Amino acid sequence: MSDMLRAPAEMKFAEELDWLESVDDGPKPFSWRLSPRMIRIFILGSERSDGLDREIPQKWFGDRSFVERSIVTLASDRGLLLIGDPGTGKSWLAELLAAAICRNSTLVVQGTAGTTEDHIKYSWNVSMVIAKGQSRQSMIPSPIMTAMEQGVIGRFEELTRSTSDVQDALISILSEKYVSIPELDDDNIVFAKPGFSIIATANSRDRGVNDLSSALKRRFNFVRIPVVTNKRSEAEIVRFRTVELLKRHRIELELPPTLLDILLQSFADLRTAAASAGSDDEKLESALSTAEQIGVLEDAILHSHFFGDRTLRAGTLASSLVGSLARRSPEDLAILNKYWHGVVEPRSKKDGGEWPEFLEGGRQAIATLS
Amino acid sequence: MSPSPFGALREQLLDAAAAFADDPGALTGILSGMVDDVDRALAEKLEIFPVCHHSPASGLAMVRRLREKQPKVVYLELCEDLQPLLTELRRCRLPVALQAFASELDGFPNESGPLSVVAPVTEASAEYQAIAYALDTPGVELVLVDRSVDHVFQWLPAEPDKSDKSEKPGEEALHGDAVGVEIGDLRPRFAELEAYLLHHGKVRHWSEWWDQYVEQPLVDADYDTYRQVMVMIGSLFRRLRPNHDDRGDRDEARERYMWTRMREHLTASGTDPGDCLYVCGAFHAASRVEEFGLSGADTFEIAPRTATRWLYGLIPSSHSAIEAQFGLASGSVSIAAATWAKAVQRHRVSPYVLEGQQGAKKPRKGTKAAAPVSREPVVDRLSGFLARPPVLDELDEAELLGWCVEIVRLARRNGYLASTADAIAVFETSILLAGLRGRGRPTPYDFADAAVTCIEKDTVPGRRDVRRLCEILLGGDRIGQVGYEAMPPLAKDVYDRLKPLGLELGTRKVHRALLDLTANPELVPCSDLLWILRRLMPERAVRPIMGTRRLGERPIQESWDLAIGEYQRSLIELGYEGVTIEQVLRGRLRQSVHDPKATAAVALQAVEDSILYLGGGRFTDELGERAVELLAAERTVDDAPEVLRRIRGLLAHYRATRPELPEWCASFVTTGYAHYCTLLPTAFTDEETGVRQIAAMLGFLFTMEGLALALGCDRAQLELAVRQSHPEAPAKTALVWAARNRLGLLPLAELRSRCDELLANPLVVPTFPLYLSGFVQALEPVPGLAPFTVEMISKAFGALPDAVLLPWLPKLITTLREHGQEHVPTLIREAGRTFPADLASVDTWVPPWAVRAEPGTAKASLTAVPPSAAETAGLLAAHPAACDAVAELLGCEPGWRPTTPSGGAEHGEVMALQARYPGAAVAVAELLGAR
Repeated sequence: MSDMLRAPAEMKFAEELDWLESVDDGPKPFSWRLSPRMIRIFILGSERSDGLDREIPQKWFGDRSFVERSIVTLASDRGLLLIGDPGTGKSWLAELLAAAICRNSTLVVQGTAGTTEDHIKYSWNVSMVIAKGQSRQSMIPSPIMTAMEQGVIGRFEELTRSTSDVQDALISILSEKYVSIPELDDDNIVFAKPGFSIIATANSRDRGVNDLSSALKRRFNFVRIPVVTNKRSEAEIVRFRTVELLKRHRIELELPPTLLDILLQSFADLRTAAASAGSDDEKLESALSTAEQIGVLEDAILHSHFFGDRTLRAGTLASSLVGSLARRSPEDLAILNKYWHGVVEPRSKKDGGEWPEFLEGGRQAIATLS
Repeated sequence: MSPSPFGALREQLLDAAAAFADDPGALTGILSGMVDDVDRALAEKLEIFPVCHHSPASGLAMVRRLREKQPKVVYLELCEDLQPLLTELRRCRLPVALQAFASELDGFPNESGPLSVVAPVTEASAEYQAIAYALDTPGVELVLVDRSVDHVFQWLPAEPDKSDKSEKPGEEALHGDAVGVEIGDLRPRFAELEAYLLHHGKVRHWSEWWDQYVEQPLVDADYDTYRQVMVMIGSLFRRLRPNHDDRGDRDEARERYMWTRMREHLTASGTDPGDCLYVCGAFHAASRVEEFGLSGADTFEIAPRTATRWLYGLIPSSHSAIEAQFGLASGSVSIAAATWAKAVQRHRVSPYVLEGQQGAKKPRKGTKAAAPVSREPVVDRLSGFLARPPVLDELDEAELLGWCVEIVRLARRNGYLASTADAIAVFETSILLAGLRGRGRPTPYDFADAAVTCIEKDTVPGRRDVRRLCEILLGGDRIGQVGYEAMPPLAKDVYDRLKPLGLELGTRKVHRALLDLTANPELVPCSDLLWILRRLMPERAVRPIMGTRRLGERPIQESWDLAIGEYQRSLIELGYEGVTIEQVLRGRLRQSVHDPKATAAVALQAVEDSILYLGGGRFTDELGERAVELLAAERTVDDAPEVLRRIRGLLAHYRATRPELPEWCASFVTTGYAHYCTLLPTAFTDEETGVRQIAAMLGFLFTMEGLALALGCDRAQLELAVRQSHPEAPAKTALVWAARNRLGLLPLAELRSRCDELLANPLVVPTFPLYLSGFVQALEPVPGLAPFTVEMISKAFGALPDAVLLPWLPKLITTLREHGQEHVPTLIREAGRTFPADLASVDTWVPPWAVRAEPGTAKASLTAVPPSAAETAGLLAAHPAACDAVAELLGCEPGWRPTTPSGGAEHGEVMALQARYPGAAVAVAELLGAR
């Protein structure tokens, strides 16, 4: 595991999952490894009232009902579609759910404009077909088909990025729960085993690119994940993920709480500004999600570690923030410039602390990019 | 004294505190205190019935207890002065709210008015059961014992939080901004405790927590268990509250009040306490004040009420209004109502319903009153209740299936692509969700979550989303209605007078009324009333679609959208202000002109309204006299444009309708003339006074000069005022020049040369647009300057550099658009006269001022006269009739002299003279041009 850049959730939390499985005496649907209640505890963390002997840390931060609704959807006949703005933790929740339910979160199809039906059903190993003809051995099953065969959860990331005909290939999989292989004469149907379901994610900003058909919508339960606006939860998420990233990069660097506050406050301000903006030109292209904050912080930490004095400074954070959010040259820079002079400057005069350094760092970054 | 039945429980709790708490001191106090409170409340000789608001369990226990005990006196925790309203409840469809209202305050700060208190009553509540029992059972007395509404405000903190004054939408606004009082408020007193309970109870709202942990276990419980558990919860929340809690102090004062009142009543009536029932919130049942109990101290002195005059009535309420008022989860009151209906059916109890209650189900017949049962000694039921694991309600499959099918039907009707498959999915998901949340039976909240999960997709197709549809399904919002008989006389009068329209205005929908006033003159009074209602009620209640009411107009046809039923509360609240709608309007108008912030413009508007809606008369004169007073007392001229506009309209109205002006009108003109003359020099120099205001003052002075002089004013006063005005701002300077020109103090030629100099001076050119703005504003008081203004604007367009002209143009356009009605027609008319009408003549067009400005050109224009004179002579000779007629009219003898073909050659010497000395002719031309 140590030579893996990023271990999937089931490997990373293997010990915890084993323990939960050992103490779980609740009813388990199909071939699930954990009961719904334990899955909830695994994702949202344990409380004293749960009566467990050890503490289970929280891994996904958000409303409890989203997790509960997701779990029961997977226990029902329908697929689960997590929909929300980029960076709201949809994929992370999907990964945790798959890891907790079947200990396999890696059966993933990534939806893109180039995704074809083969990626969802199966394709052929051409050399083997030439050598031995079409058979189950020369067939390459897709992650979804593998999930069907094993009775586990298959994942489909960014469902709305793939074209409509590809999406519609899922309809029969979700209704009939089998895939037929007309190329073969016998053994030509792959039936899904109990426990199979699909967790798809879709970006609500991509709405209209490839709209889901009504038939497919009907086969999915939608759970909308909103952008986290609660400052306390957001601080928890950013801290949790940043610590994880630091561990991954083997960096020992302290994250000063004042800087975290500055980061959260800046994003909160920019979100308010975006909400009151009249047109797209008046708001940043970024969705200003929690993931974006983590990205900014990671960038700043790496910069401080490799090019700075191994201490995270407000100036570095500011330049990282400007660098990450300024995507469109005149528009985004103009908004950031306005924000820096209209909000950060008065605040640095009023509050002091790390704000003046943050102000200066941001100014320089904007000047460099302009 | 007999030993407490709760001794064993107390011991058990103390042991638990010692075993589990790090510092058992505090916990021991709380736990044993709770048992003490229960012990004390149950040992009280006057039976205390603890309730919680919107709790079907409370309602059910109340019905059972009333049937069993049949008390002779019921004491109820409700403001004592609301008692007379209770009998009116039977004429209403619930939910309605008892309201006390005061607009004339005496003893409270004036700025806090109007004061309003509402106490909503729903059918599913325990208090309604008590009220219905007491009012419809002969020989039973109902006594409200809580502090009066006056005390509610006396005890409120001095500065209530007014941060959230925003009007809520729709039914949530039914209570307006009234203070809500309700029986049995039982909720944690600080946010952290509530958050803790919700978090560990794995629920989202307080209502949901209450339903799961208290309501459901108590619905089937016996009376003793019910009482003991309720008092214990009341005691828990009472003990877990902030130390310095204003609200807690108020609650204790209320308890002292109630116990004092009950003892007074018992002493006065001599009733046996064993025949009484005291219905109060569980929080108050666990009271520890000295006055608690029949043997409590008589140390509480009830403060007298203030002299404020309170008015009482009933207003419609709704489930959503109650939820909004008391911070309950959306849909919770509806769910409680549905649970109540179900519990009544399941437990086969026959609830009490007021005789004649509108919209209520009639109670089953044949429910005979059983013989009263005497109370048994108190037995500890708490230990069993607390030790027993929660009894899970079994799945009610039929009910859940019904919900699932119905939600799909509703969703389909609201544009969702929902099908039977969705109903199945919702059913399955509800059960799974309930299981995950540790419940055997899906609650309405689980069902709503499941429905949202299975039916809601990425967009909401219609107006309502699935969560809202679930609320509708689970009972929906119920809106009450106050019956005709229970309404104040004003509201009845309005309904009676609108009867000729033939509409059912009591119903909650928008009615379209079409009034053809020529064909049906009997509808004119309806129209008059509707206009008054429009003036007094919220905008959407009475909305004219066609028809206006303005001075000088007579209505022919009108069309209205009427939603009076929906805005019944507003109509009823108008009833607190007077007996007829006209009286209310009169009061409002009088109030507006006597308000400390009233201005002359406000008073003139009141005058106008009184003419439009009340038909003028002495009252109008009274308002007019007040307008004169206000004008004379004004020290600013901010409202001058409004004053000018209104007084002009009123003068025109009086001139058209009366032989002579009313006295106040004449007085207003003379006062205004003197007032504005006095303020004019200051206004010109005061930086805060705008050009528009000064223009309006000048407008008043010049346009009403004739009338003012006829009424005895002195023109010298105006001349002096203008002479004393020395503004520095360019726009005001232009105005004062215009005023001087109007008074003959500044000839037009000089004015023109001044402006030309400004244009020629490069240092002043940037400010020239400001002068022009002044001239544009001067069009109103000095309309004769219109040609000059057009000339100046044209010159500015020609001479000003782009850097000055372009930034000014938008400002000119916005000014003209803002005050377009006054200035644009004049300017356009004048421009039309000045500029060529077609493209062809533009090339040869020479501006009139350019002709005047160059002497050579002037000469040329003069010498060009003869041919035109000849043409004129020819024309006249060809058509002599007009000239003959004029001559006859003037008494001249008709006769024509033949003209020579050289046309005007005999006047050669005259022409020569004019050519040599053109000055006089040019001056005459200018004079004519100026007119």
